[in-house]
Amino acid sequence: MSTITVRAAAKRFSDGCLALDGVDLMIQDGSFTVILGPSGSGKSTLLRLMNGLETPSSGQIFVGQRPVIPKNLVKIRCEVAMVFQRFNLVDRLSVMTNVLTGRLGRRSWTGTMFHLFRAEDMAIAAKALDRVSLTERAWCRVDKLSGGQQQRVGIARALAQQPKAILADEPVASLDPVTGEEIMVLLREICDQDGITVVVNLHQVELARRFADRVIGLNSGRIVFDGSPAQMTPQALETIYQRGGDDAAAKREMALALA
Amino acid sequence: MGSEPVAALQRPAPALPPKPRAHAWAWAAAVAAFLLAITWHLGINFSALASGLGDIAEYIHRYSTPNFTDWSRYLALMGVTLATALWGTVIAAGLAFVLAPLAARNFSPHPAVYRGAREALNFMRAMPDLVLALMFVAAIGLGPFPGALALGVHSAGFLGKFLAECMERVDKGTCEGVASTGAGFAQRLAFVAWPSILREGFGYLLFILDRNVRMASVLGMVGAGGIGLELYNSLRIFNYDQSAAMILVILATLLMIDHAASWLRRRLE
Amino acid sequence: MRLQSAKWRWPSPSGLPPARLVGGLLALLLVLWLTAPLVELNLPRLASSSGRFLRFASQLAEMPDWGYLPQLLSKLIETMEMTVLGTFIAIVFSLPLGILAASNTSPHPWACRLTRDLLSLMRAMPELVWALIFVSAVGLGPLAGTMALAWVTVGFLGKIFAEAIEVVSPRALEGVRAHGAGRIQTLQFAVLPQALPDLVGTVAYILDHNLRSATILGLVGAGGIGYDLVMSMRMFQYGRLVMIMAAIYLIVTALDRGSDRLRGQVIYGQ
Repeated sequence: MSTITVRAAAKRFSDGCLALDGVDLMIQDGSFTVILGPSGSGKSTLLRLMNGLETPSSGQIFVGQRPVIPKNLVKIRCEVAMVFQRFNLVDRLSVMTNVLTGRLGRRSWTGTMFHLFRAEDMAIAAKALDRVSLTERAWCRVDKLSGGQQQRVGIARALAQQPKAILADEPVASLDPVTGEEIMVLLREICDQDGITVVVNLHQVELARRFADRVIGLNSGRIVFDGSPAQMTPQALETIYQRGGDDAAAKREMALALA
Repeated sequence: MGSEPVAALQRPAPALPPKPRAHAWAWAAAVAAFLLAITWHLGINFSALASGLGDIAEYIHRYSTPNFTDWSRYLALMGVTLATALWGTVIAAGLAFVLAPLAARNFSPHPAVYRGAREALNFMRAMPDLVLALMFVAAIGLGPFPGALALGVHSAGFLGKFLAECMERVDKGTCEGVASTGAGFAQRLAFVAWPSILREGFGYLLFILDRNVRMASVLGMVGAGGIGLELYNSLRIFNYDQSAAMILVILATLLMIDHAASWLRRRLE
Repeated sequence: MRLQSAKWRWPSPSGLPPARLVGGLLALLLVLWLTAPLVELNLPRLASSSGRFLRFASQLAEMPDWGYLPQLLSKLIETMEMTVLGTFIAIVFSLPLGILAASNTSPHPWACRLTRDLLSLMRAMPELVWALIFVSAVGLGPLAGTMALAWVTVGFLGKIFAEAIEVVSPRALEGVRAHGAGRIQTLQFAVLPQALPDLVGTVAYILDHNLRSATILGLVGAGGIGYDLVMSMRMFQYGRLVMIMAAIYLIVTALDRGSDRLRGQVIYGQ
């Protein structure tokens, strides 16, 4: 069971900003969840709490039975992979090496320190590359690839980890709409065919409607909506995108989201 | 006595805001006074120097007949100098390889380790290499290796600091990308830190090598091998011919190393 | 040779690490092995000397010779004065030389080449060698040291300045010239304002470097604390030696931190 449980999590940053204000959440194993919300609502923070890239000021996070604490980070990160908005690949290295970094959590430093990998790791990485249709680019430097291709490398890296869950933090925000949709299709495919739990941060409502099983709306660090896409009425959307009295900003956010 | 536009021209111009005081001249005068005070305190007499300018031509003339009869010995000594510089640079690279990741805030395993590594690098830098060479010669004995050790320790301080600063500039997202796969300290170094700074780091290494070749040529003056001692002895007894020859050998070698380093740097582009 | 079927491989088509990397490393190891005798690498002697090193270090822990303090301070001040004076003289001389050495402001391509070569020669040798030469020219004392520092710094600063001038925007130059400005005015209003701001960081670095050099110029009699340093070591006056080493460490570190902070301020705006 790799249910991700968030219990009364709150996060206040050192500059005083309250990113999350008491969030309770349980992500079901094998589901495809989309987290919607305006910028600054705490979507990114919530996702990053799940694999330990941020620590909560109060509350607890669990992946399966394991609490997300420094002692467990390596094991948790083996099971929970992440895909980033700006891809976060190592520019100078090849596509294959970047995908292979997905295997690092399970290997000790002795061989990998010299960029040596086992044959089975190479096979897993090759399969992941094939899954995202980038096999013929295996030896290219990643900074020579297009945005869409780089994001697919990011997804291949996540797949190479053989994770139980994939967290995607605004994976399509830096991509054009067509490429973005291809990425969402890929993520959905991975969820359906491999049974991997997928949690995606988005601000495009249409994509949420089309791909999600469950939509969670976040605003000012609190969950204000939790239901299926069918339940996303215009009133629900307004609740998600409201901006504390500032109607103009709210309307702008919604316009952008519905574009 | 005219139409409106002309009357407008005849109105006095609006008052400008008060001009900021010209501090620049005050600063320049203070600096000049300060420098004059230093000159006086050091007991330097520039007018005497200026009147002695005529002697400069004569002085330069003393070097005009370099004596190369001992050229094979000079070349051998230069070879020792170069070898000392190479070993010193390799030792520095080894030390910096270990210390630089610890001295980079984003890779260091613990803030205390970070502070410790930074202080260690500072300490290694602070002592002039000649002083370190003196100490190592006193401990190990005469010869080029104490010089190589001194160069290694001292330039590791610089190289380590440069490399650590390079690492701190690595994009935070890239670090997080690999960290999110569960990679440990050594793995993050191998896949994020070193690959990202390789080009810049190698440039710094060449800079350090260049610097070490220069310093190695004078280490001989404290008994650490190389051509330095020869030159020192020769100039002390005012043997200008031999000194001129040695200076030319040193100059030629240094310029060659400079060119080789630039060529290497360009080949990496 | 292909490592496709081996248990461990590198991430490359052949399974082997990049040829250039391996070739370079092997070449380096070969050169090191060949030059080891030149350097008189003697590992057993090294191991046994650690004992001597510790004894030396423990001798340094002797009581400092407080009676030496006045002379120490005066020599330290002399060292710092040499640094400051040498650097400023260098700044004054490197401005016109830099202008001559920059291809866009030099009056004649020959002047440009000649100046560049001259600057290159000036910085070719370490300060200590120049100090040795200047001592034989003007005698013992801080004058020789100051001259040596200034000489090498001009070689360095002149080149930096020439490069800064060469990257000045030509449009700014044209704009000022189009209004009838003469050569000097062009320099004053178009070239210098663009080229100068970078120099503050460079001057900070140079002061730092020159202070370190100045501490040892006394070795050849060119003024500063270097002479006392070497003498106290040769005569085993460890009480003085530890004070000198501590003093050098303090002033070099202080300037190092100061110049870091100054550079930080200049880069990120005052």
